[in-house]
Amino acid sequence: MNILLQGWSLYIRATHRWPGVAALVPFIPVVAIWAIIAESGLFPRAFFPGPVDVVHSFFSLSYKGILPDYLQDSLVRLAAGASVGMLLGIPLGIWIGTSRTAHRICWPVLLFFQAIGDIAWLPILLIWFGFGLSTMTFVIVYTVLFPVVLNTVLGVESVPRDLGRAARSLGASPARVLWEVTLPGALPNIITGLRNGLGYGWRALIAVEMIVGTSGIGFMMFDARRAGSVVEIMVGMIILGLLWYIVDGWILAPIERATGRRWGLVTS
Amino acid sequence: MLVVPSQKSRPKQRSRALDSLVGSLIFIAPLLALVVVWAIVVPVFDVNPRIFPSVGSVGHAALESILDGSLFKHIGASLLRVFVGTLIGVATAVPLGIAMGISPGVSAFFTPLLRFFSVLAGIAWIPIATLWFGYGAGAIIFVIFNAVFFVVAYNTLLGVTTIPHTVRNAAASLGAGKWALLTEVLLPGALPNIVTGVRTGLGFAWRALIAAEMIATNVGLGYMLFVARDFYRTEVIVLGMIIIGLIWLLLDRLILVRLERSTIERWGMVRRA
Amino acid sequence: MTTLQLRNLAKTYFDPYAGAHVTAVHDVSLDIEQGEFVSVVGPSGCGKTTILNMIAGFIPYTGGEILLNGKAIDGPGPERGVVFQSFALFPWKTVLDNVGFGPKMRGVPKAERDRIAHEYLALAGLSHAAHRYPGELSGGMQQRVGVVRALANNPDVLLMDEPFASVDAQTRMTLQEELTRIWQERRPTVIFITHDVPEAVFLANRVVVLSKGRVLEQIKIDLPRPRVWDELIEDDTFKRLSADVLQMVRSA
Repeated sequence: MNILLQGWSLYIRATHRWPGVAALVPFIPVVAIWAIIAESGLFPRAFFPGPVDVVHSFFSLSYKGILPDYLQDSLVRLAAGASVGMLLGIPLGIWIGTSRTAHRICWPVLLFFQAIGDIAWLPILLIWFGFGLSTMTFVIVYTVLFPVVLNTVLGVESVPRDLGRAARSLGASPARVLWEVTLPGALPNIITGLRNGLGYGWRALIAVEMIVGTSGIGFMMFDARRAGSVVEIMVGMIILGLLWYIVDGWILAPIERATGRRWGLVTS
Repeated sequence: MLVVPSQKSRPKQRSRALDSLVGSLIFIAPLLALVVVWAIVVPVFDVNPRIFPSVGSVGHAALESILDGSLFKHIGASLLRVFVGTLIGVATAVPLGIAMGISPGVSAFFTPLLRFFSVLAGIAWIPIATLWFGYGAGAIIFVIFNAVFFVVAYNTLLGVTTIPHTVRNAAASLGAGKWALLTEVLLPGALPNIVTGVRTGLGFAWRALIAAEMIATNVGLGYMLFVARDFYRTEVIVLGMIIIGLIWLLLDRLILVRLERSTIERWGMVRRA
Repeated sequence: MTTLQLRNLAKTYFDPYAGAHVTAVHDVSLDIEQGEFVSVVGPSGCGKTTILNMIAGFIPYTGGEILLNGKAIDGPGPERGVVFQSFALFPWKTVLDNVGFGPKMRGVPKAERDRIAHEYLALAGLSHAAHRYPGELSGGMQQRVGVVRALANNPDVLLMDEPFASVDAQTRMTLQEELTRIWQERRPTVIFITHDVPEAVFLANRVVVLSKGRVLEQIKIDLPRPRVWDELIEDDTFKRLSADVLQMVRSA
């Protein structure tokens, strides 16, 4: 019993010192169970490969240069689409958040087009632009746009009215108020919007790559499906999961929390 | 220039139904304006029907597909898959989430796992689903189940862990047994988060559905859209897009948002996952 | 010299819920001299906050006029400084940058506006907090920053909208004494809105009692300065004045 308690204490202290440990340790039994099920032959090996097979495939794909290339393609597309989405979405959000009329006109339109969803645009995009980069970029921009705009509007609306009034009574022009008060005030929500946008964005990217892509992780997974290679599909999925888990959990979420907490503002 | 407030015109009991009807009309107005613009632009600029259809052709396509039953077949297939997948997903995720959330040690253990898998939820599972289940409804329902399951489980877990210990202790000291604790404390306490989870998961599921139906089946809204492309039948595509938008808008705004808001209003703030 | 003049000021607006026009301010005429400290009291809904918002330029007035140094006012501006009940400090700026905001808007270069800000922070006894963020300060400290932030622009009039209502009772008394001390040093012209009658009497030279959008009474407060709570709280003149004003407010 004592050893177990000591072990437990060690674990607690380790996770306290390195929080990353707490995030990773739970996966150990999962991987272990996975390995056991795969080994047991419950499912045909081709259908249910084990972790070892996946790691093996990961290294061979990396060695052949396929994986890094595809990963880079996917990430570049996501970054490009997300940047455009932000460049369009934030000003749009600020405009809609500050102008009553803009809000009344644009809001229903935004909600409806958001409801259509990015994927549903693919068929008509394929007719217009064919199987190319334009199609993919459009979809990603479209997907990222809505969370960014909606959250920016929320951010602008949640800036307390007194702050704008204080700025004006201290001599700020409307443009100055926008820059000195509205933008910083809305920033935590804007970052939430960016975070959500990226979350939806990479999903859209994968779907688009599956359906119309010629490279990228989504394409890799779909192509592997055609070849019947479950292993490569799993490699793709795990990479996707890990990547997003790391980026979102260790980069985006802390940024979101930091701006919110630093300025004592509320994030939703 | 003084105006004295008139005491008699105080319509306190304005009809709720009238209010919401007026509200809906005001909401729709910009969209109707867009339809009008669409109806004017296409004929005026003589837009090629293979690029973008006219309002009339879309209406015609709608009528046609309603009359020959194909529209209902597609909508029905899509909705059925969503319904089944969501039902199974929620039914399995909520009990699991509650079970995991009861003890802080167990929940701390499972939280990173669930977060990882809910990150992967939905579309990413399409290739492997079609390999395991083949083409057809099975794979699609699996993808939907997947999308809903992980997100709802994660949110349920979150919801249970945010119930203050003092509340659970209070229930126990008032004589609540295990079952009563579950139904009277844990379930209601986690409900706002569960509803948020259902809403988010359903959002992922709906979009994954459309994507999956484009690749993996021969009936359903996604399929209808994709196959119309081969024949340059833009009016069917636009019809499909409008229907997809309407269904989600109705589902989300009329049901889910109301549900979410009412549970939050009754029970307090929700930590979003 | 008359700094601020309200002439037959009126405000009517349309209330969609009532489906009727509502008059918040009927006919208010007031002259405020340079360096005066005027408290405005009245029951809820008497229009005092509306009047302040109109003088500040946040809402338009529908009748009469507001003249500052003989000229009609036009929108908000630093010559009419405002102190808010909610403090309204910019959470993402340090205390120093908050106080320096007005000068920044006027184009004052950084070194100079930091100097001004430090000067005013010293006035409020907050030099040590210059590089903190508002979220790190107590309510009382935040409001002191709010006061000197408005003062740093040397406003013609300082408008204070129930500034101490969000602060606990003891801090409030400290802030009131602080305010009179600062006022004695700088002598700004102040219009101070409050519900709290003893507070109004404690601070002001003149108390204006409003009721239903009109001026009911005006009372001169001849108590000697500096004013300290420990002394005044037992003072007969103070008690009588407070009682009189309270009576007027409650019967309004």
